[in-house]
Amino acid sequence: MTTERPLVLPGDTIPPHLIPSSTTKPLRLGPGLRHLPPSDIIPVVAGQLITNHQKNSMWVEYNNNRYLPTPGDLIIAQIHRSGPDFYYCSLSPYTPHATLPHLSFESATKKTRPQLQPGSIVYARVVLANKHMDPEVECVSQSTGKSDGLGELKGGMVFDVSLQFARRLLMAKSREEGKVEVLEALGAEGLAFEIAVGRNGRVWVGGEDPKAVVVVGRALKETDEGRLGVEEQRKLVRRLVKGMK
Amino acid sequence: MPLDTSTYGLALLRVDGRRWNELRRIHAQIRTQAAADGSSYLEMGHTKVMCVVTGPSEPGPRRGAAGGAAGGGGGAGGQSKDAEVVVNIVIAGFSSVDRKRRGRGDKRTLEMQSTLANTLAATLHTHLFPHSQINISLHVLSQDGSLLAALINAATLACVDAGIPMTDYVTACTAGSTSTYAANDEGADPLLDLNHQEEQELPGLTVATLGDSDRVVALVCESRVQISRLEGMLAVGVDGCKQVREILDQVIKAQGQKMILEGTVDKGTGLNDMDLD
Amino acid sequence: MPREAEPSLNEKQFVLQALQDSIRLDGRELEQYRPLELTFGDQYGVADVTLGKTRVLAKASAELTVPYADRPLDGIFNIATELSPMTSPAFEVNRPTETEVLISRLLEKTVRRSGALDTESLCLVAGQKCWSIRVDVHVLSHDGNLIDAACFAVVAALRHFRKPDTSMEGGVLTVYTPAEREPVPLSWLHSPFCVTWSFFGEDGDIAVLDATWMEEQVSSGSCTISLNKHGEICQIAKLGGVPVEAVSLLQCTNVALIKAKDMSSKLDRWLTEDAKRRDKGGLLAELSAENDRVPDI
Repeated sequence: MTTERPLVLPGDTIPPHLIPSSTTKPLRLGPGLRHLPPSDIIPVVAGQLITNHQKNSMWVEYNNNRYLPTPGDLIIAQIHRSGPDFYYCSLSPYTPHATLPHLSFESATKKTRPQLQPGSIVYARVVLANKHMDPEVECVSQSTGKSDGLGELKGGMVFDVSLQFARRLLMAKSREEGKVEVLEALGAEGLAFEIAVGRNGRVWVGGEDPKAVVVVGRALKETDEGRLGVEEQRKLVRRLVKGMK
Repeated sequence: MPLDTSTYGLALLRVDGRRWNELRRIHAQIRTQAAADGSSYLEMGHTKVMCVVTGPSEPGPRRGAAGGAAGGGGGAGGQSKDAEVVVNIVIAGFSSVDRKRRGRGDKRTLEMQSTLANTLAATLHTHLFPHSQINISLHVLSQDGSLLAALINAATLACVDAGIPMTDYVTACTAGSTSTYAANDEGADPLLDLNHQEEQELPGLTVATLGDSDRVVALVCESRVQISRLEGMLAVGVDGCKQVREILDQVIKAQGQKMILEGTVDKGTGLNDMDLD
Repeated sequence: MPREAEPSLNEKQFVLQALQDSIRLDGRELEQYRPLELTFGDQYGVADVTLGKTRVLAKASAELTVPYADRPLDGIFNIATELSPMTSPAFEVNRPTETEVLISRLLEKTVRRSGALDTESLCLVAGQKCWSIRVDVHVLSHDGNLIDAACFAVVAALRHFRKPDTSMEGGVLTVYTPAEREPVPLSWLHSPFCVTWSFFGEDGDIAVLDATWMEEQVSSGSCTISLNKHGEICQIAKLGGVPVEAVSLLQCTNVALIKAKDMSSKLDRWLTEDAKRRDKGGLLAELSAENDRVPDI
């Protein structure tokens, strides 16, 4: 599927043999690439160029520190205050607030809606995000009306991770593609915890035992900051769990 | 040297004739200004302080983190769950021996404002008044040592006068030690309630406690002192705070009596043990 | 735009609850400091201190100036602190926040008022010329416990600093450049260190050393004790906050002494290491006229 993953810098020219060519499907460009008509594709960020020949798409994997809301992302938002029809919540510090409609929860009517206090956190999905308007989020799926795990997160603790690590955790094949095995290893050691990963760099960990939550948080932070490989992650988890006992 | 070693050792009297554990004369009055919600006037020896309390009232323009005057009290970021205690101290230029005019941004004054705000926020029931502000203004008319202690006591009295619910009195006083920092003499006495001369030459600390307990709300020590002297000074200071509390309590009760006699307040059922003549 | 990044209710409740079980987020003991690292700059008087993720840089500098009119026999010594937007967008340049004022006052009381630096030795000509020593403290990263890191940085910078050598002959004062004569260290009397305790809970019965930023947001009171390794307290500042038993405060002071001794020995070790590094060929070798590039024939 993917053979080469070269490092590209903004303005580099992409070797033509990397660009997937298919006569049936149009070429899809993901984040980090820009199309200059008529036929130039240049990367605009520094990162790894990934090409997917099956789906005929290509994009750049890059790490940045500021989260930019994109529709469809699952994020953890913190409620700041309540307005007449919306909650104003923050996705990342020192950015404009996103709006979360009061009724955007599963089976919520004007009388039975959940009352969220300022300072509480919710797991939400980004609905609308463009450079002209403040972002909007929702806690219920528009089409089905079900929350699918979105909504208020009670108890637990929130840890900050880098955006790239959050993306790796959220990947479907986190073990092969993302090289992240921390969570599985922690579960294998017998720790009982719940986890919600926000693409905006926040991870919520809930559980009965505060020690377990602290160990999970430390494991995530050290994997992220130390950029540990799969084997090192397993060693880290064993060390932390032993220290906990 | 306020403790001339030749005389102190003989009679154990300080320059103003006090023993080691005697407070100076404390004179206090409340309801000195009818216009304000609460007001008080306190003298500890020659240190004279006036205090005026306004509140709880509408909060002023939101200052956020980059504020000039000090604010205290708990509260979350955007909306305060508690009332904010804002303290303003004006030290008159004529209050000390040398006339000295202090600017608005004087760091020592800002630190005292912050200390006072945080000290009172520990006892005032600020959670009863969300989204509001309690303004405490203090004027120092004369300084003769124990300034921070006098400010705390005056602010407590004024808050009681204003009727702001509080857990207990916060009273403060200073304590010092006759030993210098270098000497490790066991025979050094702790001293209670330092005046200006003693404050300048001897190590001392200001301690504020909550009511009758031993719980310290504020402790400020700005001089060098041996760690072994600390326990004695702290014990004497805490004891002195209890004495101050008794005196302030008397003042409040006397004012209460006066108000009952004048008819402004009805005598309550719980006041049977008050002796009204 | 929100002024400050406020932690959520879940985080605050979790941290408090974990502390009640004596669990800290990074797995430390309640009385354990984060790893303290110190790097000296190439220039004399630059100290870069990291305490976990908190990073503080202190730079000491000297210039000749006229002494104050009311103190003709003393030199001038100033500490300037700056919390810039580099640490967090909540801070603005040139608008001192309450935190900045308190840190500045604490550093002044700890280092300046306690007489750590002998200001009389800074006087060159009584009433006319003296050294003005200035320490600039820049906070590069704020993850809690700025005071301890800043104080350590200031003391390290001052002990590391070398001022130009001077001599008085007749009425003439000569100041030598570093190329003419080796700069001399400052006249240092004692090294004070700050130890900050944070109190948690309604009655302040949980006391913790070296709180991170998250722990500071949840704390209900704090007390900073400055002392040197000889057991002399330079200042104590518990500026309000939750009332704490007097006995607990005394215990805190005793533990603070142990930590101060620990910090003092670490600083001594780093200073000697740095002196050895600078002195690699031996000072005499530098000043000698031998040329070691001449091959032995």
